Amino acid sequence: MTIDPSLWPKLHGASTHFPMALAMAAALFDGLGFVWPRSSQRKAQLHAAGYFTIILGALGTFPAVLSGLFMTKGETLGHDALLFHHLFVWPAFAGLVGLGVWRALMDDRASPRSFAVYLAVLFLTAGLMAGAGYWGGELILNS
Amino acid sequence: MKLSLETRALGWALLAVLFSLGGAWLLAGSIKIMDGSNSVLMTRTSPEQSFAIINSPEIVDQGHQFYEMSCSQCHGDDALGDEGPNLHNLSISNARIAATIKKGIKGEMPTFAKKYDDDQIAALVSYLRSLR
Repeated sequence: MTIDPSLWPKLHGASTHFPMALAMAAALFDGLGFVWPRSSQRKAQLHAAGYFTIILGALGTFPAVLSGLFMTKGETLGHDALLFHHLFVWPAFAGLVGLGVWRALMDDRASPRSFAVYLAVLFLTAGLMAGAGYWGGELILNS
Repeated sequence: MKLSLETRALGWALLAVLFSLGGAWLLAGSIKIMDGSNSVLMTRTSPEQSFAIINSPEIVDQGHQFYEMSCSQCHGDDALGDEGPNLHNLSISNARIAATIKKGIKGEMPTFAKKYDDDQIAALVSYLRSLR
């Protein structure tokens, strides 16, 4: 059976934007929830949105990484723009999976200090996802 | 010693990261091995097929897609040259073009032997031959 060589780039393009958007949305929701001035229903709603978006974002990384690996025929680093893309992708993948699992287990039971650390890592991971997306775009536009 | 919920969650998170990255690396290795074995099989069964050029529009178009993915960064969108040389009207043989794509040029051009199989390199050569 022959697989159309354009299948994996299409699947990668279709799957990769979800975890990027969800990681950034999770950072936004949980960040807003964290600084919300008083304990209220709105604060709880923001944290609930952050909870689900980070878990979905973590789950969304798997199809994105799988399709990327098949697209590049198992290349984990590469050269030029692909190398830069991967230098952002792997820490972002690790970060999102770790954050997703931690958040799924902790829900809203984390201490404010632990949650502040979680948020800092989440913002860093969202930045790494943005970097991965930027270099992914460079791969398409400048190649 | 009883660990706090936060510590246990952190442990599970690190374990998940380890398994995910390890799984990705194992999968990448498997894909490379599968891809390599396919290429060897192709070469053994049809040694001439590696450099056979089929000038059908579909093959040339496929080669163009590969060119855009891997070559145009250095050779330019129109293949008229950028960091790499102009690829129009190449005067070397198809086999030489295919070998250069496969093996690369030390210090100048990366190897694509692992990225593209013989049929895909042949499609790339077909595309390069179509550049006039």
